[in-house]
Amino acid sequence: MSIETQAHDGGPILPGTPLARALGEGAVPPLSPGFADRVIAAAEAPRPAPLPVSRRRSGRWSGWRTGQRLAVGAAGVVALASAAAATGLLQQLAIPVPSARIVWASIAGTAKAAPAAAPVPAAPPLVAEEPAAPEPVGIAGPIDTPEELGEAFRRVDAVREKRREMRRALVDQRIADEIARRRAAGRPEPTPEQLAQVRARIEEAQARRDEAVAAKVQERRAELEKRVAAGEPLTRRDMLRPLTPRPDQPPGSEALENLRRMAPRERREALRAMSPEERARIAEEYRARRAMAQPAPAPSASPSPAE
Amino acid sequence: MNAAATPLSHAPEHAAGGGDALLVQRLAARDAEALRELIALHAARLHRIAWRMTGDAQEAEDIVQEALLRLWDQAPRIAERHPPASQAAEGLRIAGWLQRVVTNLAIDRLRRTRRLSHGEVPDREDDAPRADALAEAYEAGSLARALVGALPDRQRAAIVLTYFEELPNAEAAAALDMNIKAFESLLHRARAALRQAFAAREGGE
Repeated sequence: MSIETQAHDGGPILPGTPLARALGEGAVPPLSPGFADRVIAAAEAPRPAPLPVSRRRSGRWSGWRTGQRLAVGAAGVVALASAAAATGLLQQLAIPVPSARIVWASIAGTAKAAPAAAPVPAAPPLVAEEPAAPEPVGIAGPIDTPEELGEAFRRVDAVREKRREMRRALVDQRIADEIARRRAAGRPEPTPEQLAQVRARIEEAQARRDEAVAAKVQERRAELEKRVAAGEPLTRRDMLRPLTPRPDQPPGSEALENLRRMAPRERREALRAMSPEERARIAEEYRARRAMAQPAPAPSASPSPAE
Repeated sequence: MNAAATPLSHAPEHAAGGGDALLVQRLAARDAEALRELIALHAARLHRIAWRMTGDAQEAEDIVQEALLRLWDQAPRIAERHPPASQAAEGLRIAGWLQRVVTNLAIDRLRRTRRLSHGEVPDREDDAPRADALAEAYEAGSLARALVGALPDRQRAAIVLTYFEELPNAEAAAALDMNIKAFESLLHRARAALRQAFAAREGGE
């Protein structure tokens, strides 16, 4: 066989071939004299003990060890999460903790936990937890019937009541924390009379706030009932419109806000029905608001040649 | 042609399986004479393997000594697993164990030397022999060393064990911790690379 034909051959190397003759060249040096004595002396000399057999060498139990570690890790995470939820840490960090019933209802898609179509987002879960409601009225799409509007009001009231309870619980918690802090610092604790006075002041402030809001709520609800009675469908934006104007909203813009909430056709009719002075005042207000909303032009870096 | 260079001149130096078990029992009992017998039986072949792998006589002696000392250290454990007159004792082959240790030690040292001298190891080793290695070794007086030394580590071990030491493929595969199919594939590539290097060498002259 020639060199060329052997070049890519992986077969055995036959004796007598040029390659076999080339491989046969050279001699292997013998072991040096006294090799056996050196090895025996090294074997009998004190040496550190050999390392133990690696525990991971056995493939039979390695899978179980990995699984065991994963199980321990998962159990630890669950235990920590349960402890955090039980101690209220998640609530303090504003992390929502849904109840098992709500989670299951969202998975199963039952009617009680399907608030997606409702225009008031916060109310449906609370209604689902409210056992006093005799027969909740379903709200499909925009609110366009008095029954649906009544149901929306009821849900809003339920949310308000729930928030009021949460505020009371928060106040109690803060008072307890403050008492504990003073106790830990060795400072005198408030007497029961002082505590009662503080609670009374808080209740009075809350009552004043409720009273101030109640009138506006009644006014808003009357307006909404009127619009529904006129056949106008109410949207989420109508229901969630703030009772008081925003701090950055200029005074006297209520009429403009009402116009903006109207449909285009209604808006045209409302403008036609206004007096010319009132139209001019609203137009001026609209221009002023647009001017405030637009960013001011950047000042020139260098004076113009004419200056 | 001397004995070391002629593959067919190396008669297998196997000891019987039961004999190996008795030898290990004596090693476990810290019998220095047993170690001396073991050296007389296997050290020459182990040294040839190590030398053909590394090309350095001193390095080869170190490798053989380390393999023998490992056996000395692990003899009590091996003896415990292979009690005399048991089936396990009949199947015990110290020669195979030592060949595997020597081969792995040689490959480890080659890789360590390459890492220390080159600084970085390429992702995949080029199967083609290096021209400078070929020229350097040839000038040193041994074309055989140049051809074998230019092979990748495991291909080099396959050629050393099967061609020079005439081990059966199964034993060589066991020495390299490979299954027989994978070893035969490795051996095929090693022979092809060897022929290619030889052809390039002959064609260049």
